[in-house]
Amino acid sequence: MFHAKIKSEVLKGIVDVVSTLVDEAKFNMNADGFDLKAVDPAHVAMIEMNVEKGAFEEFTADETELGIDLDKIKEVLRLARSGDIIEMKQDEEKNRLVLNVGNITRRMNLVDITGMSDPRVPNLSLPAMVEVTSDELQKGIRAAESVSDHIALTATPEDFEMYSEGDTDSATLRLPKELLLSLECEEQVKSLFPLDYFSNMVRSIPAGSAVSINLGSDYPVKLEFEIADKKGSVRYLLAPRIESD
Amino acid sequence: MSNSYQGNFDVHFGALRAEGALQVPKGSACVLCKGSRNLCGKDRCPLMVKFYSRSKTRRMIDTLDLAGMSPPGIFVGRYGYPKVEIGPLVPPIMGDTAMMDTPELWVGKSIEEIVDFRFSLVRGKHRIDAFNFEKGGRIVDLTRDLALSNNPLEVEAKFLKKPSGRMILDDEVQPFGPSAWLRDLSVGNPKYDQHVEKAYYDKDLKATQAVRELYRDGVMISKIQKAFSVGAFGIGKNRRFVPTRWTITAVDDILGKGLLKDTRYNPLLDEWRVYDWYQLDNRWSILLMPTSWRYELIEAWYPNTAWNPMGREVEILSDHEFFKGRKEYAPIGGCYYAARLAINELLMKEGKQAGAIIFREAHPGYIMPVGVWNVRENVRAALMTEPHRFETLQQALAHISGRMEIPMETWIAHSGILRDFLSQRRIDDYV
Repeated sequence: MFHAKIKSEVLKGIVDVVSTLVDEAKFNMNADGFDLKAVDPAHVAMIEMNVEKGAFEEFTADETELGIDLDKIKEVLRLARSGDIIEMKQDEEKNRLVLNVGNITRRMNLVDITGMSDPRVPNLSLPAMVEVTSDELQKGIRAAESVSDHIALTATPEDFEMYSEGDTDSATLRLPKELLLSLECEEQVKSLFPLDYFSNMVRSIPAGSAVSINLGSDYPVKLEFEIADKKGSVRYLLAPRIESD
Repeated sequence: MSNSYQGNFDVHFGALRAEGALQVPKGSACVLCKGSRNLCGKDRCPLMVKFYSRSKTRRMIDTLDLAGMSPPGIFVGRYGYPKVEIGPLVPPIMGDTAMMDTPELWVGKSIEEIVDFRFSLVRGKHRIDAFNFEKGGRIVDLTRDLALSNNPLEVEAKFLKKPSGRMILDDEVQPFGPSAWLRDLSVGNPKYDQHVEKAYYDKDLKATQAVRELYRDGVMISKIQKAFSVGAFGIGKNRRFVPTRWTITAVDDILGKGLLKDTRYNPLLDEWRVYDWYQLDNRWSILLMPTSWRYELIEAWYPNTAWNPMGREVEILSDHEFFKGRKEYAPIGGCYYAARLAINELLMKEGKQAGAIIFREAHPGYIMPVGVWNVRENVRAALMTEPHRFETLQQALAHISGRMEIPMETWIAHSGILRDFLSQRRIDDYV
């Protein structure tokens, strides 16, 4: 059983973060909220998300798993204005999800979840931790986009750097310690990532959020941030590129 | 070749040269070679191939009034769009000519055979407005009848002047013969394909849906393309004539994308596979990867092949897409979309998802372009064979290395998909 009411902008924030990696996802509902784990089709990136019931205006649920087509939720969101309340209800008899916004009712089939098992989460110990605003990350990505299709992230005890190098040009965003919210780094670490993934992930982070970046050398990067007015948390994991000569 | 034919050589040659059908670049070695010494490096002399094929039918089409059985075939030009030249393709022969405009039946034929029957197709020309064709008159209506007809039709074309001009060679469109402006046209009674006819009369059905439904009903791609080019599909007010060259890619793209909507969510292939194929001095190896959908076509053109006539080195071109597909047109051309369709037909049939890389070496025996069908039908044919199966990428690449002349390092350097695959780690690597 699942029945909830949520502000349209909060739902949009949740959907944007998940749909960056997958078109369909399995939401694990319980009495206190929901969580979700998914990897993208190429198995290059992963998302883990927890949202408390407090993110909703009203929330009641039993332990249940709902397979949801995110494109369909987006279609409903396009019918809503900011501040509108969207009501969501599971129709167990017909295996559907029913959404109400204003006077519109939209019924959608739930996605078959057999075969959508939760992916295993790597247990990583990443030596460096950089905390920065999402706006700074956005700037670094905009600088890199026209230059190359990958981006190197470097942390040293003094600064954090985003660097991308193309055939002829290169671009750097260097943020000294003073411009960071925090920096924990004992020795330099550096990893290279596919820019399209990294940029789509960063774009889905709400503006003005604090993002903590956990980084190692030739190792995956972990991005952590909060959504839904701090009632929800997201962890993105992105696997590195390793150039072998 | 008969003696009388040889005796007529000079007459034919003079006539062909007079009308500019056999043009030779200034200062080229052709004058020294005269088709006998292969100075250009090609296996056979393209001028001689043209010459022989033209000569066999030349006297039969040297007329103002040509009657023959159209396969059926039509052509819509692209120059001057939307004011374009449309009209029938007519050979100077009767009988069952269907094969002449059905590329699905050409795999296994030699370049000479293909050139021979294609160059006997005379193209009648009539200029129309591609958007405003409803009032185009009889010739437009008859050309459309021809395009929609299921069987070859008797055609009588009356020309303003005798057919002339160079034979048309194009990398996308299959070759055809000389052309002439139409004075009048008469066409036998067409028998429409019932599926095509239904889509034609349904003016609320979108063109992409029409194309996909006809394909699902088993209508041949060459048939769908012909109907598409005469504005037979789509919402009524949007209908228009579409140049043949654009039609071919549009239909391949629509069908490939349609299949991808399903294949993209199929379970992954669980092995590495390589399909090998050899045709028209083209070597093909098709690698299927146990990964999410990604696709690349890499073509290596040897010096002296159709598209690398002057080069001294092998030219390598490639385009690729990842899971989400591509938004811009692939610069490599229509062959990209034709091969993508063929790959997705296999994935659909097997209910699998896979990555695919096509390696193609065009060797000097590939002397002239014969059209995009060559790519679509040969990839289809390759995928009908029993593949070699491997457990690792390295084993699969070693097999491909053994078949191709170009070293694997060079292929990898030109392959966006392989470079990505070899350097990009996956989440599973850290679990």
